[in-house]
Amino acid sequence: MAGKSGRTIDATVNTTWKNRIFSWEGMLLLLFFVINIFCRCISPNYTIINVLREMPKYLCEIFLLFPMAYILILGDIDISVGSTVCLSATMACITCNAGLPFPVVILVTLLTGMVCGMINGLILTKFTELPAMIVTLGTQIVFRGIAEIVLGSGGSVSLSNTDGFRAIAGKIGPFPYVFFIVIIAAVIFTLISTKTTFGRSLYAIGSNSKAAYYAGIKVQKIRFIVFTITGTMAGLAALFLTSALYGANTTTGSGFEMDAIAMAVFGGIATIGGKGKLLGGIISAFIIVCLRIGLGQINMNPQVILIILGTLLVCAVLIPNISGKLNIRKKKA
Amino acid sequence: MKKKILATLLCVAMAATMLAGCGSESASGNSGKKTYAIITKSAGNPYNEKEAEGFKEVIESIGAECIIKHPEAATADAQVSIIQSLISQGVDSICIAANDENALQAALEEAMDAGIKVSCLDSKTNAASRMTFVNQAGVQEIGQALMDAVYDISGGSGDWAILSATSQASNQNAWIESMKSIMESDSKYANLNLVEVAYGDDEPQKSTDQTQALLSKYPDLKVICAPTTVGIAAAAKVLQDQGSAVKLTGLGLPSEMAAYIGDDAAHSCPYMFLWNPIDVGRLGAYTSIALVDGKITGKAGDTFEAGEMINSPYTVVGADDGGTEVILGAPFKFEPSNINDWKDVY
Amino acid sequence: MEKKSLWKKLTSSHEASLVIVLVILCFLVEMKSPGFLSMKNILEILKNNSVIMIMSLGMLCVLLIGGIDISITSSLALSGMTMGMLIKYDIVHSTLLAFIIASVIGTVCGFVVGLVVSKGKVTPIIATMGAMYIYRGFAYLVANSQWAGADALGDFNNFALESYLGFGIINNVLVIVIICYIVFFIMLKWTKFGRNIYAVGSNTEAAEISGINVDRVKLAVYTIMGFLCGLCGALATSVYASAQPNMQQNKEMDVIAACVIGGVSMSGGRGSVGGALLGALILAIISKALPLVGIDAIAQNTVKGLIILVVIMLNVITKRMFDKRNLERREM
Repeated sequence: MAGKSGRTIDATVNTTWKNRIFSWEGMLLLLFFVINIFCRCISPNYTIINVLREMPKYLCEIFLLFPMAYILILGDIDISVGSTVCLSATMACITCNAGLPFPVVILVTLLTGMVCGMINGLILTKFTELPAMIVTLGTQIVFRGIAEIVLGSGGSVSLSNTDGFRAIAGKIGPFPYVFFIVIIAAVIFTLISTKTTFGRSLYAIGSNSKAAYYAGIKVQKIRFIVFTITGTMAGLAALFLTSALYGANTTTGSGFEMDAIAMAVFGGIATIGGKGKLLGGIISAFIIVCLRIGLGQINMNPQVILIILGTLLVCAVLIPNISGKLNIRKKKA
Repeated sequence: MKKKILATLLCVAMAATMLAGCGSESASGNSGKKTYAIITKSAGNPYNEKEAEGFKEVIESIGAECIIKHPEAATADAQVSIIQSLISQGVDSICIAANDENALQAALEEAMDAGIKVSCLDSKTNAASRMTFVNQAGVQEIGQALMDAVYDISGGSGDWAILSATSQASNQNAWIESMKSIMESDSKYANLNLVEVAYGDDEPQKSTDQTQALLSKYPDLKVICAPTTVGIAAAAKVLQDQGSAVKLTGLGLPSEMAAYIGDDAAHSCPYMFLWNPIDVGRLGAYTSIALVDGKITGKAGDTFEAGEMINSPYTVVGADDGGTEVILGAPFKFEPSNINDWKDVY
Repeated sequence: MEKKSLWKKLTSSHEASLVIVLVILCFLVEMKSPGFLSMKNILEILKNNSVIMIMSLGMLCVLLIGGIDISITSSLALSGMTMGMLIKYDIVHSTLLAFIIASVIGTVCGFVVGLVVSKGKVTPIIATMGAMYIYRGFAYLVANSQWAGADALGDFNNFALESYLGFGIINNVLVIVIICYIVFFIMLKWTKFGRNIYAVGSNTEAAEISGINVDRVKLAVYTIMGFLCGLCGALATSVYASAQPNMQQNKEMDVIAACVIGGVSMSGGRGSVGGALLGALILAIISKALPLVGIDAIAQNTVKGLIILVVIMLNVITKRMFDKRNLERREM
């Protein structure tokens, strides 16, 4: 049933966007090759083993990309995820130090993230007049503030017992566990966004939330669910981030929200909602990660790396727009 | 359908490019030249730059290769990426000014497992994630110097306050604790009254706000002690602009503070302290070299030569947290007579 | 004049509730910490928050046309830092020239953002996010790991101390703030350009059809924002006697929060100069008052975030009540 109703909407969406999106993702894939070959040329240390070893910390940000893509498709934004990661990581360390068994630690971490996401969702669905940007700005300050209070003087906590976190930071061959989990999550999130009514509702709400509401989609319920998922994924990111740090502090996860948004937008997901595919976001995430690793290995000035990423980001949106404009002009002529 | 093809292509592409990279294992870096890396706290800060400069100077004088890494933001997260990158590059030693005591443990342990000699300078990590720590000055010595300055400037009695960075900064908290315990332990300081510890978060605006709040809350305030470079500059400006009778001391950069240091009423800071960041960098370099050459292992009691440096040879001693440290020396006093010699240095 | 228009709105709007919030806030703080409302303290608050206050004017215009700009503090840092380095290396001596240079750099930054948004049709948040990284990166490159401290800046610092622009009574910085507010008040209220801004924000298509050059309005608004950033770059350098590449980092969110608290709609078309002013003042008083009323330093961020959330939710609730009452009145 879900598949059937979905197929009809899919068909209409695809006829308009198919060519362009396909070419955009194709271009990204090409860029991914180019970046990898480029990095390989500039750095003799850019080997599969090294890249995979450096990757886990960046993979935590990719966890946030998936729900962020959903939120952007909805036409919303969430800038509190970095703080949610911070609070969840703090709770992970605290509960672990309290001597609780590791599964409980995992549960608490995910729950903390989930509750943060639910708070965002609750405020946004009860006060629909408020833009997500400003609400999540408020919660961004509050979540990190709570982490600061919990961490207390010193602002940092170490893990007294790292066994559990060492276990999840393990590897199969050169591939860290987190790599597989990211791939699994990527598949699940992509399938949900393309194959289910839920996924199609996201696009419907993002394109025109009023029309979606009158078409019988429970707009606010879906927004609430998406923000809750975002929080939970932030908890998951916090879990693996902690396994890459063995501790948490007040700056943990700062800037993650911007990185996640940048990855999504670079992948062709528009911030105005209703447009873009998660697949593009995933490819672009790996492009950004590989570029960062490669440029890091040749010890490039980090500010220059940020300038390059900023330029890439703007160009990624600017170039299709300009070429689209030129095409229209050509047609007119 | 096309999506599936795309997805498979993606996976194949990733595997292919990475495997292609795997083909030729790294041959460089082992040309007999040792590589020493320093990781500072953040970019765009002259203090960190001077540290790196001293480090580089020593490393290059022995003909080795030096890598200077500034993280993109002053966070442990950013430093973790850098440590990982340095492990990939196969450096021989990492000397790091940690942005957080605990959150670098996983990365630094991995570095040590890879045979890299890890030391800290300026601010330490926890004992498990370092071999030794180059301490710019003992906590006790800084506390004592600042406390004596407060005693001297206030004339031995009256209200005084502390303007710190963030309430979480571990350096700051250690110094403040040490000042408090010195004040309690000696009856000489009995007439001094610490009214408040304010936090300016190392932001000029907040530090300015906090200084003004201190002045309006405590009209009898005599001295403010700001053991942070951003805080002391902001406070100095507030006091000097208002022509306030309140005086200032603390830890500050000479180049930032030159305009405020003087004995007369027109200047807000009679004198202040700091160590020489260039020397911190140099000692960090000598420690790294000694670790790589196997002359020391980071155990308490080890001794090593540090070139031309004044207190050479240095000895590794036990630190409060169970690890070890090398102490550079007593903090240096900047006063009106010498400030002009130093303001162009750092 | 502004008072009169506020009074007119008092029965109908949002500014009224903000004034009440502001008064209650001030009153509570004054109770806890007498002397808070002294002239000296108020002037200090205004001076320390001059940058946020001026930038919220630009942000007001940007939000009015339905845009957003998160690159503002980066262009502020780039212009302030460049100017600081020019003074440090004795290339520029005159304070006026320094201000002009900073403003020009800021204007160029804003103009580029404006071009990307208006001609390139890039969504504002992405365009300015890219610009945020790029301008901040350049600020670091310009600084080259140096700061321009009080000693290096020399006479330039005196600008923030003296009051020759205010005829010896009002501090120079405050004079600039007041001038900016008057200019923007007039511009948004009584000029064609001001009306165009509101028109574009309320309904872009309608504005376009009615003959407004939407692209040009957008370009102009982002350029104005850039100019204010440049101006604030110089002001901040002068007020804190120090130019650092990480100047005011993350403060763009405070500016946006100030506007939103002041009732400026993020979807465009609604908002006023008075609202922006009140929003900026409420934020300024919160951050100034938290240490004074004895809230532990460690809890200050949490309290600040909670207050922002409560204020914006109260906004919505009062607006809903007001709408409901209006509806009832109409039914009668």
